[in-house]
This record gives sequence, C-alpha cells and structure tokens, in this order.
Amino acid sequence: MSRIKVEKLNPSVKAITVLLAAILISFQYITVLNTAIFVMSLLVLLFFSNAKPKRFIAIFIPALIAAFGIFLLGLYYARGNTTVTESLGSLSTDPYAVRAAMMNNLSTALQLSTRLLAYAGLGIMFALTTDGEEFISSLVHQCGLSPKFAYGIIAAVNLMPKMLDELKTVKLAFKARGIKAGTLSPKVLFTMLVNSIRWSESLALAMESKGFTGDRNRTYYSVTKVRWYDIACSAVLLGGIVAGMILLR
Amino acid sequence: MRPVPALEVRHLTFRYYENGKKNIVDDLSLTVEAGSTTVILGNSGCGKSTFASVCAGLYPENGGFLESGEIELFGKPLSSLGHRERSGYYALMFQNPDLQFCMNTLRKELIFCLENICTPPEDMEPQIERVASDLKVSDLLDRKFSTMSGGEKQKASLCCLIALGSRCIVLDEALANIDRESAYDILEMLKKYSAGGGTIIAIDHLPQLWKGLATRYILMGDGCRIIEDNIRPEEFDNYKELLRSEGVWGEYSGKAHTRDGETGFAISLKDFSVRKDPKDKMSEYLIKSSGVGFRKGRMTALLGKSGIGKTTTFLSILKQHPYEGKIEIDGRDLRAIKERELFKTVGIVFQNPADQFITQKVADEVMAGASKTLTEDEIEKYLADYGLIKKEKYSPYMLSQGQQRRLAVLSVLLGDQKILLLDEPTYGQDLSSTEAIMRQLEEKVDRDHFTVLFITHDRELAEKWADDIVRIEDGGFVS
Repeated sequence: MSRIKVEKLNPSVKAITVLLAAILISFQYITVLNTAIFVMSLLVLLFFSNAKPKRFIAIFIPALIAAFGIFLLGLYYARGNTTVTESLGSLSTDPYAVRAAMMNNLSTALQLSTRLLAYAGLGIMFALTTDGEEFISSLVHQCGLSPKFAYGIIAAVNLMPKMLDELKTVKLAFKARGIKAGTLSPKVLFTMLVNSIRWSESLALAMESKGFTGDRNRTYYSVTKVRWYDIACSAVLLGGIVAGMILLR
Repeated sequence: MRPVPALEVRHLTFRYYENGKKNIVDDLSLTVEAGSTTVILGNSGCGKSTFASVCAGLYPENGGFLESGEIELFGKPLSSLGHRERSGYYALMFQNPDLQFCMNTLRKELIFCLENICTPPEDMEPQIERVASDLKVSDLLDRKFSTMSGGEKQKASLCCLIALGSRCIVLDEALANIDRESAYDILEMLKKYSAGGGTIIAIDHLPQLWKGLATRYILMGDGCRIIEDNIRPEEFDNYKELLRSEGVWGEYSGKAHTRDGETGFAISLKDFSVRKDPKDKMSEYLIKSSGVGFRKGRMTALLGKSGIGKTTTFLSILKQHPYEGKIEIDGRDLRAIKERELFKTVGIVFQNPADQFITQKVADEVMAGASKTLTEDEIEKYLADYGLIKKEKYSPYMLSQGQQRRLAVLSVLLGDQKILLLDEPTYGQDLSSTEAIMRQLEEKVDRDHFTVLFITHDRELAEKWADDIVRIEDGGFVS
C-alpha cells in the first residue's frame, strides 16, 4: 500500500511549515479553526503516518490536561459574569498572557484552551514523524548547515545512551562511598562535565582520524530533496489556516 | 633506491604546554618500513600514545606544542597533507571502543567514512558489502553500537579504517580492553590486511599477542626515548630480562601462593539468574540458575568474555541490578540488607576510575576514603607506596589513567569495607603498575583478611594472584 506518509515529506520544509503555522495561529482566537487544526493533526497522525497511536496519545494526554485546566480556569472566572467583552475580537495581536489574565467567560476559555491544543497537535505531528538524522541531513542540504555542526550534533545524540549509563555509574560510585548524590548534585555534575569534555575530545580525534574535515567538500550517500508534494502540503496547510482566519472571523 | 618508508620521524619534540618543562616526546627519530608490522612497547604514560597522535597530525592541531621535528608519511611531509589525504595514509584506532563512532550503526559509520574521503555515492554500497564480508563482520553492519560488546566495537572500528583504504593502521592499545577471543579475531583481520601490503603500528602492553604477526618490536622509555629500536621476533626471548627490568612486560614475579585453611563464603549466589536488560523482564538471561561461592579472606578472579555478565553480577551483588534466586553476604540474605548498610560491607572500584572521585584534590580523596582521620605524613606515605608521590595537591582528574586507577584502589582499600569488588583493576597498566596494585590487594587479604573479587581478562594475572578462579561460560559459573 503506497499511501502518502508525513514521514516522506522533507523535514526542513515540514519544520518551516509548522513554524509558520504556529505564528499564524498566534494571531487569531477562532475556536473552530484551532479545533480543526488539532483534529487535523490527530487524523494525519492516525491515517498518514507510521507513528504508533499509543505513543502519540501518551504525549497528547499532558496537553489535554493543560488545555482542560485552562478551560476550567475560564469557567471559574466566568461564573456570574457572562457578558462578552466585545473589544477582544477573534483576530487580534493581544498576547496570550494578556488574554489569559483578562479571561472572563466561557468563549475566551474555549479560545485559549483550543489554541493550546492546536500548538500541541502541530508540534507532536512534527516530532513523531521526523527522523532526527534525516532532519539534520536536510538542514545541511536545504538550509546550508555546516557538516561540522551537523555531524557534531549527530555524534552528541548518539553519545546520549552512554552518558546516561555513565550517570548511573557515577551515582552508584558516590553511593558506594557513602555520599548522597542526586542527579543534580554539583559533585555528580562535575564528574559528568569532566567526562563529557574528555569524551568529546576523544570522539573528535577519532572522527578526524577517519578523514572528517567538517567542510562542505564531501560526497553524500543520500541527499534530501524538496519535491512538489512538499510544497503542495505546505501550501495546503498554510493556505487552509489563512482561509480559516478570513472566513471564520 | 631505498623504498619509501611508511613513517619517518626526525627529531620530534612535543609537549602539552609551550612553557612546560616536560617533553612528552623528546627528540624522537624513527623509521617504519612500509608493509611491516611494528609493535611499540613502553611503560604506561611514557608518551607513546601521544606520539601516535602527533604522527596523525591530531596534535598539535588539537592542543599541545610541537617544538621541533619533521614527520613524513609515505615520503610526503605531514604538513602538506589535509585530513582527508592523511586518513588514506595513516589512520588511528583508539583504546576506548565507545568513543570512536559518530553514527549509531556500522553501516552508517562506514557511509560517514566513505563520504569523508569523497567516494561517489553509487560505489558506497558495494564497497561496504565487500569490506564487511572480507572481514567477516557482515552481521555487525546493522546492529546498534550500543548493543555491541567492546570486542565487536573494535572489530567495527578496524573495518572502518580498512574501508578508508589507509595504507598504515595504528592501534593505540586497541586490544587492551577486550576479551582474548575478540583480540584474536582482530589479529586475523590484521593478518589479512598485512598480507595485502598494509603497514601496521601497534602500541600495546601485550607483546605475546602479536607473535606471528610482528616483524619488529621497539622498546620506549620515558619521553619516547628509544631503548631498543629493532628487536626482531626471533630474538625476542633475549630481551625478556630487559622488558621485565623496565617494568613493561614479563611474567609476574614471585610464585603464585594460595592461602591454606578452611573458610566460609563471604558472598554466595544460589540458583542465581540475571537478565541482560534490568528494565526488560523478557530480555535474555545472561546467567541462568547457577550458583557459586566466593570464599572469605581469599582472592577470587572472575573471568569470561566481554558482555557475558561479569559486571552485571557485581551490580547484582550491589543491589543495582534485579536478579532471581538468592545472594548471601556473610550468610545474610541480600534482600534483607539495606543499601546503606551494604555499602559499609562491600566496596567497589569501577572500570573507569574517573567516575568515582568525590573530591578535587588527591590528598582529600585519600582522606575521604579512609575510615579514620589520617595525618599528613600518613597520607604522604600511602601516596608514596602507590607511586603517587608529590601528587597530593593535584586534582585527581589531572593524573594519568594508571595513576587514577591506583588512587581509586587506594581510597577504597583504606575504607572499612571488608569485601572488595574490582572491575578490571589492572586494565591498561604496564607490568610494574599491575604488580603494585595486586601486591596492595594481596597485603590487605593477608593482613586484614579482606575478601577480594576481581574481574580480569588476563589469565596469567588470575593464575598468579587468585586463590580461586571462577569463569562465566554459557550462562553459568564454572569454578
């Protein structure tokens, strides 16, 4: 079955699209549009991605709780004050915080909580459908990121499991010597810092020894490209939001 | 006409700080013939690793100060070569298998290497398949590095260097931290590489591993001063005395002595099972329903391939890894002993000594480990015994790896714990440091009746110092 998957989209285009969408959302307070974006994110994750429902539902739960909290807050303050403040239209540049502070009725509560969900939907959709290495590779090819940074980031990410193991060992070593040490205790952090510096140095030497120079003059096994459907998807999403902002105002 | 040597070094002098007094490499001149296999021997900390990195151009580019000297790789001055070309002539394999890879699988790492040397993308796949099948590591290609043992990682690392097409491969104690079986596999891979005309330079503490492959041994002293430049393998036996007296390598001195008399068990494992992944209750068993006892007041060596469950057994004894069955410490069920109480009975020295320093000064470190307050003179005496003289004001992190290890052992030995677990206490140490560490342990056992349990890959070491040897094989303990 060759269905279109969000994973196949160019990660850089996807990132820029999501970013622009988030900026657009921040200029409006249309409950229907926010809800639509949230539902769309869910549907995309469900039907057009390889993300496991269990995983994204687990991530959505905190977002839902936060949104519900804001909603309850709105309801609480709305009690006994049901007049709609006309000055706060659905399209405005008032900051979220100002709105939240002035929140005094059900509709504002809905506006704010659904907007939070819209952000969460877009963010989770991007995070769960993007492969880290592919994203970085795409940043090199589409956004001019230097390979020096790109491979530095990849190496650091791949070192993370070892860092966590090391943290466990360090904590155990301290415990074994009768010293209480939490993850954030300065002594543990100092040891980890010393180790990290030493590791990054060793790793850099090993990479250099394998001919890595960090310049752009190298070949690439796979090059991420921007294709027509990347632009099309981006245009549909952003166009849809703009249209919604105009039509649903 | 003389054939072009693989490496030619003339009057090389290098130190870490421009104004420092000590030259790490002091006026070294050396020639290595192309196609040869040279093994460099020398004490821990004599500067041989630094020398190898200087020849790769990694220093002074990444620190340090090169006072003088010329380096030529295959007749070309090092300074005239970029990193990319250098890797085709001279590539380094390091000691720590965990810190050599940028990517997370061998296939991706090989792609990274081939990209570095500008291999056309369409040639990469066939090249990778060919190298991997030549070296018999095809099964490693798509496994995550985090699931590989140290030996497998070193095989993968060598595979990368061979894929880079390096004409000279330098192993900087690359076999020091892996089990013998993997070391022999790597030597087989190197034999093939050598037969194809490759040059090998190996820095190692174990000359006997290289028998049959080495064409020349070099013995270096402090500052990479050359003591013997050209020991041919056939005359190696004549130099055993010299290697021994330099404290580099040799048979352990003195006779193995085992302690007499009956004694109970300090630690006993009964019907003991442990799984690989502490969080995954379905992961495979490393050790299944096996029992063993470690005798009180004795030294026991724990042997076995890497990744077979030696360190995991230690972690179980320390209540840090879930297990099935029963562990008894001095006859008491471990499950009934509180962690704090346990750590007053059982002490541990980890593989990486830098993990366990709790102070910023060597003298404080000794003090922190001691069960009673020590006078300055006493501390000085202990440090002298451990070859750490005049280091009391240093930060533990400034010491060499060998010194760090001795300090870690010392600070644990001074504590109250009567049972000591040591995870490869002598790895990467030369003969004299190894003997110093083991003698201290022995003394503690003889005088204060400590129970010592140590993990090692060195069979001779185990035979010399341990009363009992326990091997882990096929998921069980074999005494």
